[in-house]
Amino acid sequence: MSATAGTDPAAAPGTEQGTVRSRSRLAVRLVVVVALAIGILFPLAENSDQGTMSIAFFALIFMASVTAWNIFSGYSGYLALGHAVFFGTGAYTIALTANDWHVPAGWSIMWLLPLCGLAAGVLAIPLGLVALRTRRHVFVVVTIAFFFIFQTLATNLSFTGGTGGLQLPFLDWNYDVYNERFYYVALVLVVLTVILSWVVRRSRFGLQLMAIRDDEDRARGMGVRTTRVKLAAFVLSAIPVGIAGGIWAYFLGSIYPQSAFDPLFDIALALMGFIGGIGTISGPLLGALVLESLQQKLTQTFSTDGLYLIIYGALFLAVLLLLPRGIVPSVAERVRSWRARRPGPSASAEPAAGTGVAGVAPQ
Amino acid sequence: MIEVQGISKSYGGVQALSLCDLSVPEGSISGLIGPNGSGKTTLFNVITGYERAREGEVRFNGNAITGSAPDRVFDLGIGRTFQLTRVFGRLSVLENVLVATQRSEGWVRGLLRLAGSASERRRAMEMLDFVGLARLASDLAGTLSFGQRKLLELASLLVADPAVLLLDEPAGGVNPTLINQLAERIRELNKAGKTFLVVEHNMEFVMTLCDRVTVLSQGATLASGTPEEIRANPAVLDAYLGGDVAEEAAAQDARAKRSQISVGAAAAAPQPTAPAPILRVKGVSAGYGGGDILKDVTIDVAEGGITCIVGPNGAGKSTLLATITGLLRTRTGTIEFRGEQINGLAPGQILGRGVSLVPQIHSLFPAMTVRENVEMGAFSINDKALVARRLAAVQELFPIVVERAHEKAASLSGGQQRLVEFARCLMLDPSLIILDEPSMGLDPTTRGIVFDTVAHMNTTGRTILLVEQNARAGLRLSSHGVVLENGTVRLTGSGHEVLEHPEIGALYLGGAIEPVL
Repeated sequence: MSATAGTDPAAAPGTEQGTVRSRSRLAVRLVVVVALAIGILFPLAENSDQGTMSIAFFALIFMASVTAWNIFSGYSGYLALGHAVFFGTGAYTIALTANDWHVPAGWSIMWLLPLCGLAAGVLAIPLGLVALRTRRHVFVVVTIAFFFIFQTLATNLSFTGGTGGLQLPFLDWNYDVYNERFYYVALVLVVLTVILSWVVRRSRFGLQLMAIRDDEDRARGMGVRTTRVKLAAFVLSAIPVGIAGGIWAYFLGSIYPQSAFDPLFDIALALMGFIGGIGTISGPLLGALVLESLQQKLTQTFSTDGLYLIIYGALFLAVLLLLPRGIVPSVAERVRSWRARRPGPSASAEPAAGTGVAGVAPQ
Repeated sequence: MIEVQGISKSYGGVQALSLCDLSVPEGSISGLIGPNGSGKTTLFNVITGYERAREGEVRFNGNAITGSAPDRVFDLGIGRTFQLTRVFGRLSVLENVLVATQRSEGWVRGLLRLAGSASERRRAMEMLDFVGLARLASDLAGTLSFGQRKLLELASLLVADPAVLLLDEPAGGVNPTLINQLAERIRELNKAGKTFLVVEHNMEFVMTLCDRVTVLSQGATLASGTPEEIRANPAVLDAYLGGDVAEEAAAQDARAKRSQISVGAAAAAPQPTAPAPILRVKGVSAGYGGGDILKDVTIDVAEGGITCIVGPNGAGKSTLLATITGLLRTRTGTIEFRGEQINGLAPGQILGRGVSLVPQIHSLFPAMTVRENVEMGAFSINDKALVARRLAAVQELFPIVVERAHEKAASLSGGQQRLVEFARCLMLDPSLIILDEPSMGLDPTTRGIVFDTVAHMNTTGRTILLVEQNARAGLRLSSHGVVLENGTVRLTGSGHEVLEHPEIGALYLGGAIEPVL
């Protein structure tokens, strides 16, 4: 969560800084356990209310997708606005394979989900090779262009069913377990994606990605194979989004080009990422949870008029104004400076920083 | 070890390198000098694969590496630093060093391994210790001062153990004491078998450190030889070194003039009272994030003088300037300008009162013309006639504003950009001009011109507050000197007093130094 969590110079217990570090590490573990427990127990508490369960399901789909998007865009600094391509690819993959291979409705179709991830990942290789030849603004435009190409393809190719879309095998799960089962499937995906994001962040690979984010040319001059690293991150980030698309398609039972390849999906990923704080692990989760639940709730409440869009927009502006770097980095910064000031403004954090590191420095 | 033969490279119509040759023998410390714009950095870029030459060949240990990508060149064992120091700002200092330990490794393996094994971390900490940054290991690199970034850049290359290090102005913007340490470090590494190629304008640094020196002029190799040969070479003197002498003379000239002025003043008023300070910094503490960088700093800037602040890198000099100009808030203390409190005002308001800053890093708008850049300096003034009058005055002082009026600012050399920045800052007719390292990255001739201009701006009635790592030259020019160390004022006095102070001299000015020529 903190910017240096993965690589602090082996926080030494006993020193002042070491204690602060290990205490905050404990706090992070506690938050993870509590969040996981809430995630698992949530359906039991909400057993009766299927509306809330469906909101929760959509929130999880986005939590996984934004976390995956963040693995590429957050860590590398390349803003990708075409991940709906992978979402749609996942959705069409599950629909096409389930129909063509006559997979019976029920849990067995869930075994097709890895295939959705695979399809998205394989597709990401050529797309990445082309798009990653460009940087910054041009990259953004290229990814948007990819998105429109794929939406057009889905509308016009014969095997995608055109504008009529595709139906998935009818799932005759009981109404009161339907949402709950999909909820848990999505929860598993969220957990796996977060683990992936965490592993990347702590790894050498992740350090190279973040070096690219800060100064790509210099990273290259320090031996980082920038193209390979960026492409790998792009592929890694496409896979969970493809799986999320597959789950989402099966949940709805039917898909259409406009809904599977949805430009709003691209924008939502970026918005949720920025609001939560890109480049962090918890930021995308928080951003997706807050924004998607809110949007679903507002849509349910004010479905007919566009009022929810106005409220949604106002909230977005408010966060951008008050916490321009996103919720998690802004809050973390405040906590840090509050901690630094606590001993009194004159006895600043300087000595603490000194002793902490000196304690582990080699002789 | 590195052989460069007949390299040519042009940007649009500008010929940056034409048939340039360079040879770096194994185990040597080679120097590369030349005026601003002579193609030194372009040559670095060609060697390290950042730019492709139109013709010519680069060989490393006998193998052609012309046109290899930067990551491949690095893997072969050629590491480089950048003139405008580049670090990974949002990574910690330690992480910055760890990046280069990760070379040539498949990403799948990279994904499964932690960033930095215990032994790599230990080695990274050793490197940070070597350059004296170990205590800052967990800080974000973006919070380091300019000089500290230079050291970090060096440490993050050393960790990968390259055979050759290409250093682009390692001493630029670095305190003299630190420069000596840096030279010491380079000698140590050289003894341990590393080869160096150093671009640098600090002649004393180059001439004492290097075994061989190559001089570039207008993209071509002008001369090559031992430091003694280079010093004795009249062509080199003409193209490059002449300014050093001129600078010395100009500084003495300026001081003589000033002492005349003060003698005159003293004659008029037998009891010389110090002029009222135009700027008073009283007990100011300030900083970014957690700690205070400035701790209870009190400085008076005398009206009509030149006050020079010197001190080690990371002493808080740039932070002090940011605090005065309102870019950073004071935490305690007050800042008064002409008797009125200005801390707490917005930067624009402080500028409006006549306090103008020329920052350390070049700040012209590169895609705008010289004329447009200068006019931008007065964009807050609506009176067109006044702007025209100011422009005329500035044009008289800075002929370059007329000569290069319609050229893009980016096409100017570093020294020319500095002059245009001065011109721009004068458009608001400030009474206090704050200069952050005006001579950084300039060749001796240009540096002389810049210092002359500073003295000239002062004699035309403007108070100057100067931060300068070229401390001797800065203090020689100045009426007052301030030594800042670790965020506190260590010593104040006349420029001469600070310059001659025995302890301070040894500590911050790099000891007694004989003139180069």
